[in-house]
Amino acid sequence: MSGGIAPARAREVALLGFGAVALTLGAGGLLLLAGGYDPGAAGAAMLRGSVGSWNTFVSITLVRSVPLLFAGLAVALAFRAGVWNIGAEGQLYAGAIAGVWVALTFDGFPTLILIPAMLAMSCVAGAAWALIPTLMRLRLGIGEVITTILMNFVGIYTAAWMVHGPLQEERGIFPQTDRIVEAARLPSFIPGTRLHLGFALGLVIAIGLAVLFRRTRFGFQIRAVGASPEAAAVAGRIEPSRVIFITFLASGAIAGLAGAVEVSGLTYALYENLSEGWGYTAIAVALLAGLRPGGVVVTAIFFGSLRAGAGAMQRDAGIPSAWVDVVEALVILGVLGLERVRAARIVTDIREGDS
Amino acid sequence: MSVPLVRLRGIERWFGRVRALAGASLELHAGEVHGVIGSNGAGKSTLLNVLGGLLAPDGGTIEIAGAPTAIGSPRDAWSHGIGLVHQHFTLVPALTVRENLALGLRGRSFQEIDQIVDVTIEQTGLWVPLDAPVRSIGVGDRQRTEILKTLLRDPKLLVLDEPTAVLTPEEVDGLFTLLRTLAREGKAVALVAHKLDEVLAVSDRLTVLRTGETVLSAQRSDVSVRGLVAAMVGDGVADEIAVGVYRKDRPGSSGGAHGNPKGDETTAGVADAAPLVGRVVDVHDDALVDVTLEVHAGEVLGVAGVEGNGQHELALVLSGRRAPIAGQAHVPEEVAFIPQDRQREGLVVDFDLTENVALALSRLDRFGTGALMPWEDLEKEAERIRTRFDVAAPSTETLAGALSGGNQQRVIIGRELALGAPMLVAENPTRGLDVAAAAYVHGELTRLASEGLAIVLISTDLDEVLGLADRVVVMTRGRAVDVPESERSREGVGALMLSGGAEAT
Repeated sequence: MSGGIAPARAREVALLGFGAVALTLGAGGLLLLAGGYDPGAAGAAMLRGSVGSWNTFVSITLVRSVPLLFAGLAVALAFRAGVWNIGAEGQLYAGAIAGVWVALTFDGFPTLILIPAMLAMSCVAGAAWALIPTLMRLRLGIGEVITTILMNFVGIYTAAWMVHGPLQEERGIFPQTDRIVEAARLPSFIPGTRLHLGFALGLVIAIGLAVLFRRTRFGFQIRAVGASPEAAAVAGRIEPSRVIFITFLASGAIAGLAGAVEVSGLTYALYENLSEGWGYTAIAVALLAGLRPGGVVVTAIFFGSLRAGAGAMQRDAGIPSAWVDVVEALVILGVLGLERVRAARIVTDIREGDS
Repeated sequence: MSVPLVRLRGIERWFGRVRALAGASLELHAGEVHGVIGSNGAGKSTLLNVLGGLLAPDGGTIEIAGAPTAIGSPRDAWSHGIGLVHQHFTLVPALTVRENLALGLRGRSFQEIDQIVDVTIEQTGLWVPLDAPVRSIGVGDRQRTEILKTLLRDPKLLVLDEPTAVLTPEEVDGLFTLLRTLAREGKAVALVAHKLDEVLAVSDRLTVLRTGETVLSAQRSDVSVRGLVAAMVGDGVADEIAVGVYRKDRPGSSGGAHGNPKGDETTAGVADAAPLVGRVVDVHDDALVDVTLEVHAGEVLGVAGVEGNGQHELALVLSGRRAPIAGQAHVPEEVAFIPQDRQREGLVVDFDLTENVALALSRLDRFGTGALMPWEDLEKEAERIRTRFDVAAPSTETLAGALSGGNQQRVIIGRELALGAPMLVAENPTRGLDVAAAAYVHGELTRLASEGLAIVLISTDLDEVLGLADRVVVMTRGRAVDVPESERSREGVGALMLSGGAEAT
């Protein structure tokens, strides 16, 4: 059990996931009741606002799920290796800053050069943001949970400083950058909707990670190190620190993409508070998906629809959107709780095996 | 006979689709030590855990003093006077022994606790360093603390799951004397131990489990060793397992033609006869002091010693898992390694058999060097190992954690042999295994040596080392001391183990 949360088998993931969601939506409903709201009306508003029509689903829900998809994949990758990267939020901001900087600085370049350069630079920035916690863990033995959380604040406030200072828009009035040029904007993925190519890129990364874990040697090494660094080292003669180094930085790079894709695909500028805490929600996304890339696609869309629905709930039923934050937290607790039950069962099985 | 203190009848327990107990029964009487024996996976620990309230049975009845009772939790078990001493320690390392003991007696003042502790220690002779933090004391002391903690609450029935696994022979003797005393004072004692001779030495009554069923329950005086082994492993197999006797004669070395007859061999003789496979010179490491060793093809080098004298570090260096801080280690590029801690270093318990086989074998050239895992080939190899080494698992998709200790060891042995390495390092390879599984491992080691493998057998079980090794060294405080042929006996090696090795080097 040294790896902490073991990635579960597919069927168990689905069961756990549905269990956790059912539990938390139930609990969320009770919360609404206790607050004097009508859960029925709230549910209706939520469904209308998230999956009410094709266009609502694609232009609102899927669009909102894009950053969750990238950040969720980043977290799932790290957790698989036993790296508790809670720093997707900061890495995301680092990526957004790098991306917007490239777009503003090289605004004369054609799309085919500019967008790849933005994305590449955001990967580098996200990985660089993860590098400090990585080295602190591998060289100094300092747990990455704390260091990545602290790096989040540095990232958030660096972005705030950027939009008040070096990268502030020309007139110097609003805390945001200038809008990026047309050539730096991601094209539409489904014509006639707001869904941009970033979603497709997220799907490609999800497939890539699934292949990595299932088919490749390095993916197997990641799983082995995550499940038991001791066995990986002794039986597998794998160097855990090498695997952790690469995986941690790759996780940071994917989280960095989340920021650049959001700017390039949707907002076209970097704002203060660009992220609604996506880097944290990503933890729930990854855990609910059982750390499986395919599952992350589903859970990212699920949380995207919660966020989309929350807007409608606030408008139509007057329910504070903070309710969604509570539901997200409950999902994490639900998943961890059910996961604990599963882990406890495995432990008993092992102890029994000893008899 | 009187009404038993506890009577378990027809107990069933399932884990998923595996039936761990299939109608097991057990009768425990006051004033008796009752030994529960059986192969790995026979259900011994499961049965004791049912008794201690850790596992709920799926069927069967439990009677306490003749009255049907349900034991739903450890607390329930305690309310009936059943005290379970855990196989895995449950002490808090940062607290002192005294504080740990106090944890078991919540709700009393420290003065009261001290008094109870003093009286119990006086009565039982369980001397423990009361004011030392648990993290600083040895396993023997930890176990005494664990037992003391249970006895403080004055159980009517004391249940011990494999109490001897971590003890030295002397400590085992002390424990058994205590158990006999407790029984004489009217307590009931139930214990599981893997070594048959130990159970036989201490028990008044024996129950044999096989595949979750009670196949024999009798007074110690009414059964023979052969009869017990037959009951444990099923008829017909017993003859193949010579209890307590290791096969020293192996094909190839017994004739002396190209081996070294036991009687007159010397270290130099072996060196001349067989090619050198592994060699460490003047090695220093965290727990190693100036160690020089040679291992030759076709021999078993036995490394004896009390736990924690540098054996684990030596195993890591010899198996190429660790580069020593100083000195030279010339070992083959690939060394098969059976680590002591199966579930931590040998296997990934959350991986299935194929994945566990892949863990070691995927680095071999024959499984390719590309970026992709050759899962089909690895799956075939896992299936071959499962069949060839009789691993009791329904398929290669079974999780390693769901296997019994003996079967986990079979997977590791099969996998490590498939490496095709010229050298094997085995660290306490039979720890926690039952007679049949241990005999299997010993047979494999003997066979492999006869096939030319260089084997280093590191073990705290002196009989195992003396029985299997061609040459013996003793590890004491990080030093490796050669044991001359003339001193190769329990007494001789035992003396070296305790001497500290200072004058021997």
